[in-house]
Amino acid sequence: MTESALFTIFVVAYLFYIGKSLNPPYPREVLEFPWLGSFFLFSSSATVVVAEHRLKKGERGGFHLWWGITMALGAAFLIYTATEWYHLIYHDGLTLSTNLFGSTFYSLVGLHASHVLVGLVLLGIILVASLTGNIKDRHHEHIEMISWYWHFVDGIWAVVVTVVYIIGMQ
Amino acid sequence: MANPTSSLKEVGTELAPAPPGREHGTLTAWIQDLIFTVDHKKLGLMYVGMAWLFFIPAGILASLIRTQIAVPNNHVLGPEAFNQAITMHGTAMIFFFAMPMVFGLANYIVPLQIGARDMAFPRLNAFSFWTTFFGACFLFLSYIFGPGLYGMGAAPDASWFALAPLTSKAFSPGNNIDFWSLGLLISGVGSVTGAVNVMVTIFCYRCKGLTLYRMPLFTWMVLVTMFLVVMFLPPLSAAQIMLVLERFFGAKFFEAQAGGSAVLWQHFFWIFGHPEVYILVLPAFGVISEVVPVFSRKPIFGYPMMVAASVMIGFISAGVWAHHMFTIGMDSFSVTFFAFATLVISIPTGIKIFNWLATMFGGKIRMEIPMLFCIAFLFQFLIAGLTGVMLGVAPFDWQLNDSYFVIAHFHYVIVGGIVFAVFAGFYYWYPKAVGRMLDHRLGLWHFWIFTAGFHLTFDPQHFLGFLGMPRRIYTYQEGRGWEFLNMLSTIGAFLQGVGAIIFIINMIYAARKGKIAGDDPWDAWTLEWITSSPPPEYNFEQLPEVRSRRPLWDLKHPEDPDWRFE
Amino acid sequence: MDTEHADHAEGVELPTPTPWPMLSALGIMLIAGGFVTSFVVALVGILLGLIGGIGWFRELFPVPNHELVPYTEPAKRAAPIKVSPRRISHLALGAGGHRAYYPLRVHRYSSGITGGLAGGAAMAVLAMLYGLIFQHSIWYPINLLAAAGLPTMESANVAMLNEFHLSAFIIAVLSHGVLSILVGMLYTVLLPMLPARYEWFWGGIIIPLIWTAMLFPMFDIVNPALAAHVNWFWFIVCQISFGLVGGYVVFKSQKVETMQTWSLAARMGVHAMETEEDR
Ligand code: HEM
Ligand SMILES: [Cu+2]
Repeated sequence: MTESALFTIFVVAYLFYIGKSLNPPYPREVLEFPWLGSFFLFSSSATVVVAEHRLKKGERGGFHLWWGITMALGAAFLIYTATEWYHLIYHDGLTLSTNLFGSTFYSLVGLHASHVLVGLVLLGIILVASLTGNIKDRHHEHIEMISWYWHFVDGIWAVVVTVVYIIGMQ
Repeated sequence: MANPTSSLKEVGTELAPAPPGREHGTLTAWIQDLIFTVDHKKLGLMYVGMAWLFFIPAGILASLIRTQIAVPNNHVLGPEAFNQAITMHGTAMIFFFAMPMVFGLANYIVPLQIGARDMAFPRLNAFSFWTTFFGACFLFLSYIFGPGLYGMGAAPDASWFALAPLTSKAFSPGNNIDFWSLGLLISGVGSVTGAVNVMVTIFCYRCKGLTLYRMPLFTWMVLVTMFLVVMFLPPLSAAQIMLVLERFFGAKFFEAQAGGSAVLWQHFFWIFGHPEVYILVLPAFGVISEVVPVFSRKPIFGYPMMVAASVMIGFISAGVWAHHMFTIGMDSFSVTFFAFATLVISIPTGIKIFNWLATMFGGKIRMEIPMLFCIAFLFQFLIAGLTGVMLGVAPFDWQLNDSYFVIAHFHYVIVGGIVFAVFAGFYYWYPKAVGRMLDHRLGLWHFWIFTAGFHLTFDPQHFLGFLGMPRRIYTYQEGRGWEFLNMLSTIGAFLQGVGAIIFIINMIYAARKGKIAGDDPWDAWTLEWITSSPPPEYNFEQLPEVRSRRPLWDLKHPEDPDWRFE
Repeated sequence: MDTEHADHAEGVELPTPTPWPMLSALGIMLIAGGFVTSFVVALVGILLGLIGGIGWFRELFPVPNHELVPYTEPAKRAAPIKVSPRRISHLALGAGGHRAYYPLRVHRYSSGITGGLAGGAAMAVLAMLYGLIFQHSIWYPINLLAAAGLPTMESANVAMLNEFHLSAFIIAVLSHGVLSILVGMLYTVLLPMLPARYEWFWGGIIIPLIWTAMLFPMFDIVNPALAAHVNWFWFIVCQISFGLVGGYVVFKSQKVETMQTWSLAARMGVHAMETEEDR
């Protein structure tokens, strides 16, 4: 809930400042729709469900596999974002301080990416704990919470994509 | 000044003996206990101790401010020091006196009232306290470390709502503004985690039979408060993150040259700012709703209405923020909307006042100190609400915005309402926490001197506002007709200081020599009075079971229990 | 988490005290401190935060740490709640004393209208009488009253005030009539609440005096002309005449039953027909 409120403010700031930048680059010129990143992230939501399913059935091996795939997808998303930013910064000259678009873009997408990072750390802790055989039944609740968090981060991405890459590019 | 608080904290530890197995009695053991503890009662007292700790510098700043404007053309404080003083006073009072006080009361009372052994996440609770505390320290460190414009340490000076573009690098070089935003960011983390903790506690740890519909009103209002914290603190944090990005990394959020908007900052701040005032006042309402029935010997009048009104206030308070911005030039639709919403919010508030009055009506009123503070609260909060409604009428606000009338309005709410309720709560619950009663005679002195000082300070400020005195001016010229009222106001401020000192003396005195309280000194009805005073670390030997809103009444009057009527 | 507070015969299990949360918080503060001082501080902060976080995690994992807190000795425990010796008596509907009283029968609102009109007429007659006797024109008070809404009248002299002006007449009659009716209706509500002994005294004299007192400071603003010319003695006499006549008419009117005693269904109109027939 808190996080949604936090994101709401950044989204509002983004929407408020769409088209108000005084100097280039403008979104239309430099942004590309993040097909690949979105694919990674959205599919990871599915794999985490599968992993949970395996855990409930008591198949530790399957759980580790799918949980690991989820992590890999999350990491791939982060790498995608990193390359996108790299391109924007060194090719298009867009930084946080270039114009309003830069400020709002990096802060919103960056906020989301940091949440993905936190999610990855949480996933990693569970994976290590499980591999070392420390996960007991009483921890299933926590695992469920973490996967909920992961879905939440995913949902936020849907909003971010809509705002930044669809509305913002018109 | 430092002495009273430190002994105050000792008070806090006296009541909870260090857990066995660890040495106790020495200073190191005491400090170790403070750092290690995860007990909700100790943390609650630490919150409260922190609140009083920061009340002192903030209060000293207030008296400095009042001294500076007591007479025209005064130069006790220069303009820079004056701006720092008002900023630090406002910020510290709201975030580091009132907020920790809310969290302290909630921490201490809520688990007891709902018959729980502790909070849902005891360790997180400790973390929340320490982030709040370190955030406050961070802010005050600016007086030492803030290499501001003026050579040595410089505190933030852009007022408690840090208006853009005053906060941009161009106008505030140095780091003082960063101390403001980072300090509040840190303590904001603590507030949000604390709020989540309290909410989960209330939802998941109520004792058997304590349905939501039987929950004590203090707990109810704390619940609504915590919702507001969770929903409306993040906008502030978000805005502060933007400010930090802007000041350290050159982002452009609020900078007009790059097309940014200073008005957006105001929107973000007040989206948080108005709910914040209800975050502070709802627990105060809760205290009043506990104290008034007990000292009127009647159950609260209109319990469902009270709950509904609190929830309504929670909702509506989300939609009134722009009444702080009537003068920035909004379109007429927005003005109308926010003026209307502001008027609407006074309806649930009025319902509450009527319910308290109806509770007192025909009751057998005991004029103990908590009740005195409640009665004063009723008068003062009524007036505060009325001036609030006046300010909510946009054209009236155009005239009086940023004048001393606004200062008078919100100090009537915050001092006349919240601080009075806090005092009421202290006289009410101190015996539970310490095991000894606060002294009645000293209490009377405290009450009357503080009340007189309060009115002397803030009543004239309404008129100063009408006479056109703007707020935040560090001095003024003679011959505007402001001298007399300002003098009165300053005298009143010092009188309040005397009252506060009497209160502190009372707390120290009572901790050592006060009358032994017993489990239930007020013949009250809620669960916190069923256990010993001070409660043991685990609160209850056996978790209680509840069948009505007044569980202790049921036990005291088995021939006529409340649950027959529910 | 429920396992955190398990009961035992000799005590209660509570979470072990731990310093890690405090250390994490300190770390966060130092990270922030790094912004305003040097990055070394931030590094220390990150380090402390990490240590705190890991320590905290190990506190909770795999099982949250607990310790057994023994019960305090019986002497220090809370005493059992004593049964109160006091006897409770309940308020009963209709019984004297506090608040078990509803107005079961009230005056009709329509009586307020007639009462207000009657009072207003009495007041007007007296006022015109005053005009006739002291200013030699019945139009004088009418014009003054209208001055509230007519700018031309505000600066008028006595001679002008003595003439007949159609617009002033209409305004005066309208405002006087509306106000009279409103006050009359207020009377229907107020009268039953006044002390039962000397109703005529409270309603007829005290209330008009109170509203005259409230009008007094407002006149300068609302109707400066009236404030300048008014004869306060006659003014008060007129007000009291309204109170006495209007109050009398209302007071003598038939009272009707309120719905207070009806059932909810009847109040909502569901069973209205039945109840009518029952009577
Ligand atoms: C009855 C409900 C209330 C109404 C209608 C109301 C209305 C207002 C309005 C319209 C203003 C803006 C004045 C201006 O800046 O020109 C204002 C300011 C303020 N109100 Fe209230 N208020 C109410 C209750 C409260 C409560 C309960 C609190 C605190 C707990 C509070 C605290 C404040 C504060 C702090 C300000 C000053 C903001 C500033 O620094 O300019 N108000 N109020
Ligand atoms: Cu407000």
